[in-house]
Amino acid sequence: MGIRNLLVMGAFALASVSTFAVSAKAEDVTISVWSLDRDIQPAPTLVADFNKLNTGIKVEYRQIQFDDVVSEAMRAYSTGQAPDIIAIDNPEHALFASRGAFLDLTDMIAKSSEIKTANYFPGPLASTMWDGKNYGVPKATNTIALYYNKDMFKAKGLDPNKPPQTWDELLDAARKLTDPGANVYGLAFSAKGNEEGTFQFLPWAQMAGGGYENINSEGSIKALDVWKTIIDEKLASRDSLTRGQWDSTGTFNSGNAAMAISGPWELDRMLTEAKFDWGVALLPVPEAGAERSSAMGDFNWAIFANTQHPAEAFKVLEYFVSQDIRMFSDFGQLPARSDIAIPATGKPLKDEALKVFTEQLKYAKPRGPHPEWPKISKAIQDAIQAALTGQMSSKDALDQAAEKIKAVLG
Amino acid sequence: MKRFFSSITDGKGFDILLVAFPLGYLFLMSGLPLLYNVLMSFQEVDMFSLGTFWRPFVGLKNYRDLFAQPETLPILYNTGIFVVASIAGQFLLGFGLALFFWTNFPGASWLRGLFLVSWVMPGLVVGAIWNWILSGDFGVLNFLLRETGIIDGNIFWRSDPDFSLWAVIIANIWLGMAFNMILLSVGLSAIPKDLYEAAELDGANAFQRFWTITLPMMRSSIGAIISLGLIFTLQQFDLFAAITSGGPNNSSNVTQYWAWDLSFRQYDFAKGATISVIMIVFVMFASVVYVRSTRHEVRG
Repeated sequence: MGIRNLLVMGAFALASVSTFAVSAKAEDVTISVWSLDRDIQPAPTLVADFNKLNTGIKVEYRQIQFDDVVSEAMRAYSTGQAPDIIAIDNPEHALFASRGAFLDLTDMIAKSSEIKTANYFPGPLASTMWDGKNYGVPKATNTIALYYNKDMFKAKGLDPNKPPQTWDELLDAARKLTDPGANVYGLAFSAKGNEEGTFQFLPWAQMAGGGYENINSEGSIKALDVWKTIIDEKLASRDSLTRGQWDSTGTFNSGNAAMAISGPWELDRMLTEAKFDWGVALLPVPEAGAERSSAMGDFNWAIFANTQHPAEAFKVLEYFVSQDIRMFSDFGQLPARSDIAIPATGKPLKDEALKVFTEQLKYAKPRGPHPEWPKISKAIQDAIQAALTGQMSSKDALDQAAEKIKAVLG
Repeated sequence: MKRFFSSITDGKGFDILLVAFPLGYLFLMSGLPLLYNVLMSFQEVDMFSLGTFWRPFVGLKNYRDLFAQPETLPILYNTGIFVVASIAGQFLLGFGLALFFWTNFPGASWLRGLFLVSWVMPGLVVGAIWNWILSGDFGVLNFLLRETGIIDGNIFWRSDPDFSLWAVIIANIWLGMAFNMILLSVGLSAIPKDLYEAAELDGANAFQRFWTITLPMMRSSIGAIISLGLIFTLQQFDLFAAITSGGPNNSSNVTQYWAWDLSFRQYDFAKGATISVIMIVFVMFASVVYVRSTRHEVRG
């Protein structure tokens, strides 16, 4: 038996396997799902579980990299090769929804027994809406709050059970906690010139009555002035301007910053790395009693408008939503729903923190929604950086941003 | 007919065939995308018309809009500084090292090989390492400068608009120096030794020998290395992505990074293409210099 025979047999075996596979799938409807989730994360796991149910709908999964989600989806849609379902970052949802690339799900959701809009936090839900209609459902969510080092609070004579509530208290605490001799900054946050900078700044402007539509309002200017004070008085590292949230919070974990503004994605790393007692507080507000706000992150599910099987695709979405209860217990992500309680993890620090984040989520607001969000965001990032580097005053910088945003809003 | 076939296997036809393959490849892989890019810079492009070829023509609108933006001129200026400073640094240090290793002390060729390691490393890795070195609070560079008493306070290399561009330039000089050194070493070793012997007999000192023999004999190598350097620095993207992301407030932004940011961050593909066209003009210029300087190459 020579190599030749082996090859022939191999080819024959391959051919028979593939014909068998095709014939088995023939009557199934195939739905394709794209998301950035890796194998242990929600999407591929849920897809595998769904396929085990044998509902006559076969789901194919494809993982795409975070940086490629939008460009890949655009290319696929404009050449008619879009998947049926995609997970899209929430500030980019409106871009597709406004151009009719996503399917209007309003009627299907109204009839659905599984998907109820009332179950969702208002922020994540709003990011899936365009023009009053539902163009998707939130997949998971996150937000930002204030982490603080309780041991450092004690050492500097601050009450570790009374974290700063207002901007003034935050500045005061940061001044007391900053200790250049010990390489400790009062606060760590990110003012990076990418989406992270906008993500961190916008809640501050919103708490003071501003927003992206009126970014040069008095409140937004005051917010940026507070940021400027933090940088100018060296209460936070100047490298906050080029450092993302993950790296900035790393300095908190290593004891080089006494407070940090970041999200729940930090919790697991902090539990292993931080060798001190810490807590989480709601984002400080401009003054006592002021409106709360926070950032809103994570992805949404949407169905592409040119799907061949809208009803089946919606069934798959319904299955995903029905599994939201596993979002935290199995995958460590926060479901975007107010009707699902986060189960205790048995780690007191984490459970306390999650309570605060769940509370903060009630105030989380979407970025936009606007189809040209990246341009609006870029204008805000440039303003933050121009002011923090001292090249422009907060007012001038935000006036310029408002000008650029006005051109985008039309 | 027979003549035709024989000319293909051996003769003019064969020559044409040999030239046609690389030309066709170049046209397909570089020429078409380049033309498409130029076309896009005159069109209105958004993500939903990406898949189509005939999009609304807007004439020079993209160019006008681009130059109306307040950040355009500073970014072009930054690109100029980045290119000139990087090439100057890479060339001078590379030439110095090449001359140093040319003296052929024991282990010289070995050490010279080791220097190439920096050229082999991926830009993103180099960027990540320089990111730590240049960090404001805990960076090694600040530590050295502080310990030697050159500075009092920390310099925030990445986040201070006065230093951010130079932070990337320093990293880029380090990255490109070894490549310069190797190419210049090749040029140096091609100079016939008897020229120096004759000059020495005539009483020329070291400086005169360098000025009248080394430099003129190296002319083509220098022209090539500088135009290659121009192309490599205009391609340098990884270091910007890893160290400053073009910030703060565009103070370290350059055209190549900006084109990417506009196209793939803000989805403004037309403007991204417009910047690329402007860059193509510069690279064309470099290519002409490169071709001209290598045309008269003499290999001894």
